[in-house]
Amino acid sequence: MSANGRSPGAPILEVGDVHTYYGSIHALKGVSLTVNDGEIVTLLGANGAGKTTTLRSINGLNRPRQGSIRFDGRDITTVPAHEIVRRGIAQSPEGRRLFPRMTVTENLEMGAFQRHDRSEIREDMERVFELFPRLQERRSQKAGTMSGGEQQMCAIGRALMARPKLLLLDEPSLGLAPIFVERIFDIIRQINEQGTSILLVEQNALMALDAADRGYVLETGRIVLADDAASLKTNEEVRKTYLGET
Amino acid sequence: MAADVSAPTLGARFKRPSVIGLLGLLFVAALVFWLIVNLIKTPSDFGDVFLIGITNGSVYALIALGYTLVYGILELINFAHGDVFMLAGMFTITFSTHFFGLHQGQGWVTVPIVFATLLLAMLACGSINAAIEFVAYRPLRGAPRLAPLITAIGVSFIIQDIGLAWKGPNYVTAPDVFPHSNVFSAGGVDYSWNKLIVVLVTIPVLLALLWLVQETRQGKAMRATAQDKDAAAIMGINVNRTISFTFLIAGALAGAAGTLYSLWATTVRFDQGFQLGLIAFTAAVLGGIGNLPGAVLGAVLIGLIQAFNEGLNWHAPGSDWTQSIVFSILILILVFRPEGLLGEKTPEGG
Repeated sequence: MSANGRSPGAPILEVGDVHTYYGSIHALKGVSLTVNDGEIVTLLGANGAGKTTTLRSINGLNRPRQGSIRFDGRDITTVPAHEIVRRGIAQSPEGRRLFPRMTVTENLEMGAFQRHDRSEIREDMERVFELFPRLQERRSQKAGTMSGGEQQMCAIGRALMARPKLLLLDEPSLGLAPIFVERIFDIIRQINEQGTSILLVEQNALMALDAADRGYVLETGRIVLADDAASLKTNEEVRKTYLGET
Repeated sequence: MAADVSAPTLGARFKRPSVIGLLGLLFVAALVFWLIVNLIKTPSDFGDVFLIGITNGSVYALIALGYTLVYGILELINFAHGDVFMLAGMFTITFSTHFFGLHQGQGWVTVPIVFATLLLAMLACGSINAAIEFVAYRPLRGAPRLAPLITAIGVSFIIQDIGLAWKGPNYVTAPDVFPHSNVFSAGGVDYSWNKLIVVLVTIPVLLALLWLVQETRQGKAMRATAQDKDAAAIMGINVNRTISFTFLIAGALAGAAGTLYSLWATTVRFDQGFQLGLIAFTAAVLGGIGNLPGAVLGAVLIGLIQAFNEGLNWHAPGSDWTQSIVFSILILILVFRPEGLLGEKTPEGG
């Protein structure tokens, strides 16, 4: 039984024994993980463990040298980054990566760049504004001039504008005030309840495990632990290393 | 006009009065004084020179926009850009005279021929510029920034040599088909059709470019790619294709500039792109490199500065000093306001 009360479906994302390099650095040394349809899966790990590289391997920005990535039943290992979003994977990247000199509205429109259904895009934008009323207030403000929390909302909203089947979230709580962190996680749950599967990279392990169905622990480019979120929360190693308990 | 814009620039840079700031203000004041004296002594010459400056400035604007578009998207100063402009002049001569048999005194047939030549030159130079990016810059995408810069200088020499082999070392003459009659003549100030045509063609091209960049899907892709390539890619934008498109547009603008300039000045030489390219590059830096309205503003200012220097009577340094003046402006801008007149401050300083 999953956290959102529905039973998870078939695998939507299957990462199999992926090796990825950053220049000459062997960043991922055989990572395998699965996200099932409708799940929130979290990826935990220290800085430099390879969490962001895992996401960049999935979204096509860092092509793996070895291994395979399957999404929605098709191999996407060598599909270029700009095609991946068309297949149904959108991302709110590390550091948000908004277009700083574009307005909030323009940023959201960029999220729907590969779509052509104008009226539905407008509806989706209204939905994003319902989810993040703050963005509606700031709709004509340049994204680069907003606070970190507002930028994070805009980055998540922009990813949603692609109508993804799978949402990759990289450190959505990084640098945010605690009140914002709570709100962001509420919204992540809400997005998931509406049917989007989520792969969540998060340094706030407690919040992540509360929201997730399952989790993986990544250490220096390898998956060292995989379990459902509730078990990971009680796992002694995880408690020591990621939940800050002694 | 130049003085009006640079005065607050230098002033804002120095919050407390400093020696350099004071000297800058003194210099600007002297410049304004010099312009006013010239205006009072020979108002008709001043008017003539002003209009020549605007005409030159609009050609520079077309070239400067190419530098700024490419810099905006790749942070590369495409030194070969001026030479693509030169090639456009040669294309203009070949297309108009050899293909279409254009010559002076053909009456109304001149109009469609010039228009067709303009479009062909834009198409040819756009394709060449996109090809240059594909062959010379794309393989160096991940290399240190110095590598494509040096390559650009190399491509510049290659194109000059192609021009040299094609049309020889001397000036080649373009047909003098723009009418020289006056559009108006008021108070001793004359404005002839051949100058007005240059401005009249430039303005719609500039407006079309602004519309393209601001309003179209391709323009949004260009702006997104300029601001963040990885983020653009995960939005579904084909980054490589967008960069190719940007070079195509930049080349087409150089093509338009080359056609207009060669038919107005009626001469083309293999090395003219180098000099005019550097002047246009200075204009792009003056306006704020990467900033489209800035490139136009900078180009008009440089056009005016050049015209005032070469055309005014009372104590003008004269054309021998044009290049020194233009490049002194480049140095001053890079030292005191690297983001240019309209550019935004970036961590890299422009």
